[in-house]
Amino acid sequence: MSAGFDFSNHSRNTFLSEKGLKVPKATSTGTTIVGCLFKDGIVLGADTRATEGPIVADKNCEKIHFISDSIRCCGAGTAADTEFITALISSNIELHALSTGRKPRVVTAMTMLKQRLFQYQGHIGAALVLGGVDPSGAHLFTIHPHGSTDKLPYVTMGSGSLAAMAVFESSWKPDLSREDALKLVTAAVSAGIFNDLGSGSNVDACVITATETEMLRGYVKPNERTQKERTYGFRRGTTAWTAEKIRNLVVSEEITPIGGEEMDTS
Amino acid sequence: MSQIWKYVRVTPSGGRVRGVPARSSTTSISLPGTPDHLSSQSTLILRFVMSIMEHNGGSVVAMAGKNCVAIACDLRLGAGAQTIATNFEKIFPVTDRMYLGLAGLASDVVTLREKFRYLTNMFLIKESRPLEPSTFAHLVSSTLYERRFGPYFCEPVLAGLERTPSGSYKPYIVGTDLIGCLNFAKDFIVTGTASDKLFGVAEGLWEPDLEPEDLFETISQTLMNAVDRDAYSGWGAVVHVITPDKVITRTLKGRMD
Amino acid sequence: MATADGGAYSYSLTVFSPSGKLVQIEHALAAVAQGTTSLGIKASNGIVIATEKKSSSILIDDSMIEKVAVICPNIGIVYSGMGPDFRILVAKARKSAQAYWKIYGEYPPTRVLTQEIATVMQQATQSGGVRPYGVSLLVAGYDVHRGPSLYQVDPSGSFWAWKASAIGKNMINAKTFLEKRYNDDISLEDAIHTALLTLKEGFEGQMTEKTIEIGVITVPTTDELEVGKIGGETGRPKPTFRKLTEEEVRDYLAL
Repeated sequence: MSAGFDFSNHSRNTFLSEKGLKVPKATSTGTTIVGCLFKDGIVLGADTRATEGPIVADKNCEKIHFISDSIRCCGAGTAADTEFITALISSNIELHALSTGRKPRVVTAMTMLKQRLFQYQGHIGAALVLGGVDPSGAHLFTIHPHGSTDKLPYVTMGSGSLAAMAVFESSWKPDLSREDALKLVTAAVSAGIFNDLGSGSNVDACVITATETEMLRGYVKPNERTQKERTYGFRRGTTAWTAEKIRNLVVSEEITPIGGEEMDTS
Repeated sequence: MSQIWKYVRVTPSGGRVRGVPARSSTTSISLPGTPDHLSSQSTLILRFVMSIMEHNGGSVVAMAGKNCVAIACDLRLGAGAQTIATNFEKIFPVTDRMYLGLAGLASDVVTLREKFRYLTNMFLIKESRPLEPSTFAHLVSSTLYERRFGPYFCEPVLAGLERTPSGSYKPYIVGTDLIGCLNFAKDFIVTGTASDKLFGVAEGLWEPDLEPEDLFETISQTLMNAVDRDAYSGWGAVVHVITPDKVITRTLKGRMD
Repeated sequence: MATADGGAYSYSLTVFSPSGKLVQIEHALAAVAQGTTSLGIKASNGIVIATEKKSSSILIDDSMIEKVAVICPNIGIVYSGMGPDFRILVAKARKSAQAYWKIYGEYPPTRVLTQEIATVMQQATQSGGVRPYGVSLLVAGYDVHRGPSLYQVDPSGSFWAWKASAIGKNMINAKTFLEKRYNDDISLEDAIHTALLTLKEGFEGQMTEKTIEIGVITVPTTDELEVGKIGGETGRPKPTFRKLTEEEVRDYLAL
């Protein structure tokens, strides 16, 4: 299924929409995703909110996707598209690494991603921040849904990108320390979380250096749900029901001796 | 999938629509500060346009408890505002300890049910090993994404118990959107025409570590109360509570309007 | 009847000889029997697959030769027979493993992948215009349901599970040796040594880290599995198959 989409429902769906029924939209990740260079590598950051129109569909989703051991990719846009395109490219990168016997490069992943996105002319709605460290150094890219790319020392994407970029523009400088870079990325993602409605919940971060990749899932949790004042458990028997069926999954076996001579098992 | 409202300029009729909002009905609300060029009387009319996902109605909710999970659905099958049947179950067994709920366009609910039955059987025959929820979840996801550009109008919810390497069972619930984006949740998953309401009620009622019988009450009350405020869901409900050694299925008594 | 040159039934694959043989498949097995010896041993806590890597001239850069191949993080294979045929099978197996991963979000169990390779090899015995693959394979893999398992696949496309097996030039002697040495609770370390001892029987020339290739499956502990399987959306489970480095092979040879 690597490239094969199935369009067989398409004419039916077009017919239905011509009948006046609206075609629904998929989950999108409103999103603030960021990345910046620092002294020893790359720090990526993301919020964890997924939305379906005005509804928060997932309060703690993962937007930093695995590409290879030292390459990761943040995704904004149509959630399924970011999920599947990064999985596809991760898979192809693994095949590529096996057949070349070398560590995969960030440009390779970037090229694979942009070529596929361009091929689909923007219909695959993935806006990505790709970062990683390979034998040629640390690299950071943004990839737009139509396939254009940028290579910059600090980048932001998603609906919270303006808020996050404001933070980077005011504070980023070359050769940051690991701690400062993490602090800056956290501040940038937080700017998105608190000022952009499409972004929210926690800050995920990922620090990639030549020697190690550290995935910091739930690095900062500024929006933890507070303990409820009281519980809303119902007394057993509250709900009226009319029929019950119990399917037992444990098959019990009973042996009833029926007499007679014991079998000779010697 | 939330409703889609379309802004249209109509002469104000005023008031909320009484009765079920049909496809052609209009609802008006007054919005302060509406630009004058939109309407001479500064009133915006919202016309309700039904989505394919809402045409047949129906909702599903799944919840995780302590060493157990529950999944529940309503029983309505409609055609727009008209109710066609009140025995349309939207939850189907996949394995002993895993159930799949499908809400959305009824024809796709049936098509997908059969498709996943086929895929499950093929898996079991080919691999002669148990199908775990995490494996099946990815199968659902990739099956839906294959039709990224011509989707089934269905949002599945999966509830089951996952076998851990140490041999015990762990609650596993997951939902996807109509093109297969997985949504892992520790608490609850909702889908269908009452999903907005279910989100709200479940957020209030769900608690961690509920025993099977308490989980039954919580999920039942969540579904019933949400569905009572949804015109397109209701007419009774079915709840399955899955525990390591048994599955309890109960048909609930609910409003029939 | 098939004669020494194969006779009238040796050219068209799809024709049985009157005695019920497909002679091309037998010829393919003969090609395997000329190949360098490879073997695999299943231990209580893992599997070892090993092979000798012989080059026909000292002028060949043998660092380029790869006979033990990683298919996916939980499966590795080794072959005896024709190198070029093996390369094709490796490429197909890797693609198949990735295709499975894209559908199920996990890598294929050893049996499923073995079956996929076997199907490819079988098809070459029944299709027009092709010849059978001139290789036998040993597939070593780990999966949660069946644990570590070792399979052999032959040019006909048939496959079996083994506790220990050998293929290639010295297979008969090697198998006899393994039958004497094998026991059910052998440890991985002991299995690696047994593998090297078995290869030593009938090894031509010097056994060094340059002329031996080893791959191992290490069975993960329950704790490692819990981390890898449940809530493993963040990272990837630790690979269970890996090739030993030249340094590691040298250390085993020194013992």
